[in-house]
Amino acid sequence: MLQQLINGIITGSLYALIAVGLTMVYGILRILHIAHAAVYVSGAYLGYVAYLYTQSLILALISGAAGCILLGWMIQRFLYTPLLKEERIVPLIASVGLYIFFEDLFRLLGGPHIRAFTVKLWFDKIAWGDMVITSHQVLILIMTAACLAAIYLIITYTRLGLAWQATAQDMDTAKAMGVNIRQVVNLNFLIASAIAAVAGVLSAINYNSILPTMGSVPAYKMFAIVVLGGMGSIPGTIAAGLIIGMAETIMSAYFGFIMPRDAIAFSAMILILIFRPEGLFARAR
Amino acid sequence: MSAILRTERLSKFFGGLRALQDVDLEIRANEILGMIGPNGAGKTTFFNTVCGVYPPDRGKVFLEENEITGMPTHRIARMGIGRTFQIVKPFLNITVERNILAALGKDRMKGVSPALLGIGLEKSREEVRRLLRLVGIEESLARPARTLTLGHQKRMEIARALALKPKLLMLDEPFAGLSQEEIRPLVQVIKKLRAEGITILLIEHNVPFVMEVCDRLVVLNFGEKLGEGTPQEVRSDKRVIEAYLGS
Amino acid sequence: MGFGYFITIGVIVGIYIILTLSLNIISGYAGQASLGHAAFFGIGAYASALLTLKLGLDFWTALPLAMLAAGIIGAGVGIISLRIKGDFLAVTTIGINFVIVSVFEYSDFFGGAYGISGIQYPELFGFKISKAYYLILVFVCVFLTALFCRLISKSWLGLALETIRENEDAAEASGINCKKFKILAFAIGCALAGLAGVLYAHFMRFITPIDFAFPISISIVCMMVVGGIGTIRGGILGALFMAALPEILRPLANYRLLFYGGLIVLIARFQPQGLFGDNPILFRKVFGGSLSSARGEKSGVPGGRK
Repeated sequence: MLQQLINGIITGSLYALIAVGLTMVYGILRILHIAHAAVYVSGAYLGYVAYLYTQSLILALISGAAGCILLGWMIQRFLYTPLLKEERIVPLIASVGLYIFFEDLFRLLGGPHIRAFTVKLWFDKIAWGDMVITSHQVLILIMTAACLAAIYLIITYTRLGLAWQATAQDMDTAKAMGVNIRQVVNLNFLIASAIAAVAGVLSAINYNSILPTMGSVPAYKMFAIVVLGGMGSIPGTIAAGLIIGMAETIMSAYFGFIMPRDAIAFSAMILILIFRPEGLFARAR
Repeated sequence: MSAILRTERLSKFFGGLRALQDVDLEIRANEILGMIGPNGAGKTTFFNTVCGVYPPDRGKVFLEENEITGMPTHRIARMGIGRTFQIVKPFLNITVERNILAALGKDRMKGVSPALLGIGLEKSREEVRRLLRLVGIEESLARPARTLTLGHQKRMEIARALALKPKLLMLDEPFAGLSQEEIRPLVQVIKKLRAEGITILLIEHNVPFVMEVCDRLVVLNFGEKLGEGTPQEVRSDKRVIEAYLGS
Repeated sequence: MGFGYFITIGVIVGIYIILTLSLNIISGYAGQASLGHAAFFGIGAYASALLTLKLGLDFWTALPLAMLAAGIIGAGVGIISLRIKGDFLAVTTIGINFVIVSVFEYSDFFGGAYGISGIQYPELFGFKISKAYYLILVFVCVFLTALFCRLISKSWLGLALETIRENEDAAEASGINCKKFKILAFAIGCALAGLAGVLYAHFMRFITPIDFAFPISISIVCMMVVGGIGTIRGGILGALFMAALPEILRPLANYRLLFYGGLIVLIARFQPQGLFGDNPILFRKVFGGSLSSARGEKSGVPGGRK
């Protein structure tokens, strides 16, 4: 049971990391950024290639993050920002089209098959009774905690964070009060894309596999988490990610016959929304 | 004495905030009643509570003899209260004509099958024209509402409310956001409506207008009725003066 | 590439036209987010398959019943839409799509992951309607659907839906029961999607859960957007364009999806009002001058909104 709890927390941490990036983009641009999954997968592939050549995990993470920051910036600058004034459905369609494009691009460039992404760390696993935590899982815990804590601190305690909160609440008012909206939007996308890349690399390492379609489930499932967390609330999303991660792991371990794992997130979301239409936690504070 | 609208101890609280408290009000047929008071006094809350946007926490509302407390907005609209909004709410992407038709068709929209009937444009167009003429924007009939100036949109909103053939017309700050040039014709429109015998309740900050046009005034402050009477009576009421100077 | 190939394309295009027009009622006229429309496509298909195979009903009896099933569940989503709004509703409809497809996939009653096979062609007085005659059937349904949409857009119902899309508060204040009409929009739109499902099931004669998954919902939305939201002409041409696209792109073989995705991005980015709606590049080049957006059968172009 405890083992499942740990597995659940690991899964939940990864979910939280990916979902927070999504919620940050939504908080500022009010766009459902389905292409975030493309950034996630790009990070994994970039990291994989970097690791292939350097055998250094750190370099893999950095190059993944760097590449994705660039990718994210381009998406924001050339696709989303020009579409802000259109019907809400338009950037969504653009985002979906972009994801379809990238998924096929990865297939063409990297081949359709699963590749192994094996990274050996300095220890193999920690055993404690009949519980086991692999080194990869420890890495995930440490890194996601670090990233999420850093983001939380930045948003809550720095001037940049204040600007972020103001823009998320009301872009026009923030602009009128002198906030440099462009800077907030850019930095926001930068951070979101960077952590997506990190999540991609960590995920690939953890499951020792990388394949072009690895983003298709996160692309949509992450939205259930974002909605549950209150659409734009970072702490809410972190909590929702952990909750869903644990719920999924425990449910599929003990009640696997009821519904497929991937439907759990959405079912939970729908049920909770019916009782609390604004999500579990209110929007960005 | 026929009261078109009557409220008894109308109250509305938002959490700890007492937006309306025990407001007793009577609007008589064919009069123009002005509702004034400092910002945040509860005037728009009064409108919203009467029109069913949210139900009151206490008290009752009567439209002529019928109690309408807590009824859904669309029912109250059908029963005979037409209202405009402080921030105008036109149906932007459809024509002015269709904006008016939306309210004109209230009997058709009641059931599902009548709603499937085609809009007999020839029949309704005359009535739409008449309403638009009343507010002075007949020439905009076929234009999308989003192409109208703010002043014209506000007039369209009044015409839309009138299309309901209301017993009571409630105007929420009809002059808000308008320039002097836009205000003058709108004043004429409201005077014309009054001449047609329409009962009007309006919220307005424009004091000279209010003094000139309204038969009676009622003053709200902090959710409570501070005073009421003719413009002259209210203007010399000490408590009213205090409320305005103090805010 | 014989006659049969073109019939198949024709049937599929027709089915997608119905799907796009039906979504247009919910999203184009009433302005409600609905990103899981394929779920109702599936409900219609599975309902008809089960009614004909397990209950022995004939096609013509199963058809209205399947549409009813899709419509009733659609009304359920409509009721949900009263409580959950905006982007929350958008994601909820995605979730509903996933959940319904999971139900198809995971329960033996619906054939599980293997789906349902052996569905029969419809029969009329002993005559089996297949191939070219099926195309005629589909064409008739498309025509009736388009006619029905036109009827709605010219009716009081269409006006009510438009007002809900534009401004709910003002609609209520104008005497329109927004709740009733929202539920109605979902019910009608989903019932028509069910019709498309029935036509699909009895043509392919073999359905699986992935035929109705979220990517299909997105395709339908794309067709609506590419064609021009809110217009019947746009819905038909958008569906035609997008459904024909995989075939047009066939020579690109391995790069099909790449171009498909790229094309969607380009269209969304540079022609967001759709290729065939109002004031599009194509029309301007061909006919010159812009089309007025407030005319007869159209319900107006939704402009930029936050």
